[in-house]
Amino acid sequence: MRNLLNFLAKYNNLIIFLILEGISFYLLTTGNTYHNTQIVKEVKGLTSGIDVRITNARNYFHLRDINQALSYENSSLKNNIFLLRTRENLQFIPVSDTNYKQQYQFTSAEVINNSVTRQKNFFTLNKGSRQGMAIDMAVSSDAGVAGVIVGCSRNYSIAMSLLNLDFKVSARLKSNGYFGSLGWDGKEYKYAVLSEIPQHVTFGIGDTVETTGYSAIFPEGIMIGTVSGFEKSGGDFYKIRVLLKTDFKKLHFVSVIGNMKKKEQLELEKQFQ
Amino acid sequence: MINRILKFSLIFVLLILLQVLVFDNIRFGGYINPYIYVMFILLLPVEIPSWLLLLISFATGAVMDIFCGSPGMHASATVLAGFVRPYALRIISPRDGYEPGADPSMFIYGLRWFLIYTSFIILIHHTALFYLEVFRFTDFFSTMLRVIMSSVFSIIFIILLEYIRKGK
Repeated sequence: MRNLLNFLAKYNNLIIFLILEGISFYLLTTGNTYHNTQIVKEVKGLTSGIDVRITNARNYFHLRDINQALSYENSSLKNNIFLLRTRENLQFIPVSDTNYKQQYQFTSAEVINNSVTRQKNFFTLNKGSRQGMAIDMAVSSDAGVAGVIVGCSRNYSIAMSLLNLDFKVSARLKSNGYFGSLGWDGKEYKYAVLSEIPQHVTFGIGDTVETTGYSAIFPEGIMIGTVSGFEKSGGDFYKIRVLLKTDFKKLHFVSVIGNMKKKEQLELEKQFQ
Repeated sequence: MINRILKFSLIFVLLILLQVLVFDNIRFGGYINPYIYVMFILLLPVEIPSWLLLLISFATGAVMDIFCGSPGMHASATVLAGFVRPYALRIISPRDGYEPGADPSMFIYGLRWFLIYTSFIILIHHTALFYLEVFRFTDFFSTMLRVIMSSVFSIIFIILLEYIRKGK
């Protein structure tokens, strides 16, 4: 017993060190799935107040850019409405038709905390489960894909940014329809990497890369970026460098996209796996 | 004593705010992300008991983790920095030892001493932090590059902040 006490007295620093590192590693490994940690959710509620203030101040300096982007998007939406309206008038599509079902629902949200400097970036949105946000909803900026929601509290949600080593999305070349998997390599915040495109496929620099809609998270045809370079990687595949359309340093207003038929699709797919 | 606690609380708040509001938004060339909040661990008095130093390190890291939303990452790196600090101080101790009650300041022990002391702890902290962040060894050398670049900038900023601190 005495020996034990002596031992503890002699090595107390090492013991405290190991205990504290143990706690940290426990948090680190269990917290990696991020949305499972209740602590983070609770605490996020505390710091969100501060984040909102910081963002409010920062947004003020970007008002010109934000307005420009919004007005641009507005005009393109007006164009779409006009097109739809004329078509409807011509073809007499009744909107009350039971076959006519909206699949995707868009909700706007504001980014109140964001980072591009880390290897696993997340951003926080100012809407939560009360406003209809849910885990696995897609997030897109007015330019293109931004991320996926991984955790919701009542009034805030946290989204995994495309700039996260764990983020993968199914993407295709718009020109020929070949699809592969797109992810971030952790180097520059402006570029992502599209892999698994076979080498017999022809494409050019500047070709559009967009989502496929296979994952039941992103709708089909949402812009991701443009091809900026490629190299042959081992085997028969290309490794394509994609210039991202979304500027993650200026992410302010985003749309959250909920897929209303997701449950149905996943249930059906589950039966055959 | 109370004065000192107040002083260090103020430094703590200032450094964390500076880190979260300013330095977390810096990203030179896609590689460099200085973490200057470690300066708080560097500035604590020489005679602080090790157990207290470790607990303070853990608390500092935990606060950063809350702001960054990265449970345990900063905490483990900062605890490591707090653990090696007494050894660093012992290795580079001046010829006639530390004065009782002294802070490890650049203006008592000189720029060269402070530079070695800061570089040692910052390098250990950043190495732990960046490899924990990636959590894999596939991009070993690009992570190493990021560690070195960020460390250089952290050290420069910490020395600048030390000048500003003395100027007041």
